[in-house]
Amino acid sequence: MAVSESSRYLTRSLSRALVPSARPATLCWRRNASDQASSRSPSADLSELESTSISSTSTAEDVVKSYDPVSKARGRKTKLPRSRYQFRSPKYYRGPLHPHQPPPPSDPSSRLYVPGPFSLPRVEQTWQSTVASDILTLLYVHNPPGFKPPVKAPRLRDWDDTSPYHKNRNLRGPRGGDVLRLLRKPIDFNNIPHLERITIHSYVNMATENSSWLHAAGIAVQAISNVRVQTYKSKTGVPKWGIVPGRGTVACKAELHGENMLHFFGKLVDIVLPRIKDWQGIKGSSGDSSGNITFGLEPEAVALFPEIEVNYDMYPPKMIPGCHITIHTSARTDKDARLLLSALGMPFYGKIVD
Amino acid sequence: MRTTFSPILASLANVFRIPLSQTVTRPAATAALGRFNGNSNSNSTTNAAAGSSSSTRQFSTTSAMLKRHRGPTIDRRITMIRYFLHHPLTPRPLRFSRTRFLRHWTIHRAWHLYRAQQRRAHQVELERQWHAMRAACEELRTGAGDGGKLFRKSMIKTGVFRDLFPIEYARLQTEGPPAEGWNHEWRRR
Repeated sequence: MAVSESSRYLTRSLSRALVPSARPATLCWRRNASDQASSRSPSADLSELESTSISSTSTAEDVVKSYDPVSKARGRKTKLPRSRYQFRSPKYYRGPLHPHQPPPPSDPSSRLYVPGPFSLPRVEQTWQSTVASDILTLLYVHNPPGFKPPVKAPRLRDWDDTSPYHKNRNLRGPRGGDVLRLLRKPIDFNNIPHLERITIHSYVNMATENSSWLHAAGIAVQAISNVRVQTYKSKTGVPKWGIVPGRGTVACKAELHGENMLHFFGKLVDIVLPRIKDWQGIKGSSGDSSGNITFGLEPEAVALFPEIEVNYDMYPPKMIPGCHITIHTSARTDKDARLLLSALGMPFYGKIVD
Repeated sequence: MRTTFSPILASLANVFRIPLSQTVTRPAATAALGRFNGNSNSNSTTNAAAGSSSSTRQFSTTSAMLKRHRGPTIDRRITMIRYFLHHPLTPRPLRFSRTRFLRHWTIHRAWHLYRAQQRRAHQVELERQWHAMRAACEELRTGAGDGGKLFRKSMIKTGVFRDLFPIEYARLQTEGPPAEGWNHEWRRR
C-alpha cells in the first residue's frame, strides 16, 4: 500500500532487467554516460581497440541479429510509462489509507528530499578520528566478569497503604523533587556523546514597537545558520518593554541539524569565539541537567560571523541581534555534554555544577 | 500558467534571471523597482528617474509624493531585508524523466550504502577498542602482581569531569599546519 508510484515502476523495470528472459543474448546497446564503456557491448569496443585479439566479430553479429526493438516492445505484456512520465508526490498527506502515498523523504522524488550531505565537516572528522575514542577511553569503567550492579529502588515509589485513599493513586515521585531526571547509562561504544542539534534563539524586545527589528534579527540568524527561521510570540508579559503575552511576535528561532549544524559549530569554535574580547567561556553552571548546554552571544559577537562580516553594511548596526545558542548533545547528563564540548573546543569557566 | 505577474514577482524573476513565459521587459521591471523603492528612499536622484514621467510639477524637481511626506522614512536596508526575507521563490521539487530518475536513484542508493558502510566500520572499530581496553584492564587487575593497586588507581575518575579536556587538545583538525609556516619564495606576478 505504501509502495509509491515511482518505485512500483522501478521494481517492474528492474525485475525486467534482472530476470533472464526467454530471448537469448538480450544485450542492451544503449549506453548511458554513467555506464562503464566495457560493461556494455564489450566485443565492439575491444575489437576497435585490438583487432588481433581472440574476440571475434561473430558474437557482435549475433547481438546485432537478436536486437529487435520492435518485437521486444510488442512482446511486452504491460506498457511502459512514457519516458517523460513524472511521478508527483502528493502535496498533502491524506492518511495511511489513501492510494496516493508520498514516497519516503529519502526518495529523490519526495517533496521533503534534501540532497546531500555534500561535505565532510571538520567537526565530524575530528569527532570520528579522535574525540570519540578518547571519550570512550576516559569514561571507561571496568567491571570484572560476572559483576552484577546492585538493584536500585524504583524511582517512582509506592504509597504505603496506611490510608484507604491511597488505593488507585498514581505512584509517588522521586525523593527530593518532582522531576524525574534522565537515567545515565555507562558510556560504551554504543552511546558515545555526539552533537545532535543546535538551536539559535533570539528574543528582540524592540519588536513590539517596530517589526523591522524582528526582520533584521531573522535575516541575521538565517544568514549565520543557513536555516529558515521560525517566529514566536511571547509567552510572558514584560510590562517594562510593553510586551503582552500572546500579542506581539518577539522572537525568532532556527534549528540546525546535520551538515548545517556541524558547519555552524565549526565557525563558532574557530572564528567567532576566539575573537570575542574577554570571553571566559561557557559558564560552568550552564545546562538543563539532561545534556543540553546553552550560552549567549552579544550582538557584537554575532557580528563577527563571517556571513555577517562580509556585508556588514547591509544590516542596520543597532539591529544586529544577540542570541542564545543551545547545543543539544546525545549525552544524558550535563557533565558528559561538557566533556564532549570541551573536547570540541568550548572552554568552561567558574564552578562546575551538575 | 498565470498570464500576469505582480510587479514584485516580475522584478524578482528579473533579479534571479528566471525566464517567464511571458517575457518581462526591462522597463517594466525597473519601473516596478522604482515604485518599490520610491517611498523609502529620500535620495532625489533615483526618485527623479523613477517619478519623472508621472508626477513632477513644472518648476519643481521634487515629486509630489515625496513632498507630501507621510510618516517616518524607512531605512533602505530594512526594505531590502524585508524584500529578501519574504521573497516567495523556492526551488521546485526535482522532476526527471524515467531513465534520468533511475540514474539519480541508483547514485543516491549507492551513496547511502557507502555512508552506511563507513558508519558501520567506525562502529566496529570503536567496539574493537572497547574490548581491547576491557581485556587490558582485566589483565591489570589480575595478572599484574601488585594486588590490583595499579588497576584501582587507573579507575579513579574524579579529575575527568572537573578538569575536562585541556584547551590545547581541543583543536578542530585540519590538513595540518604547514611545516614551513611562511612561503618566502612567493612573489606577486
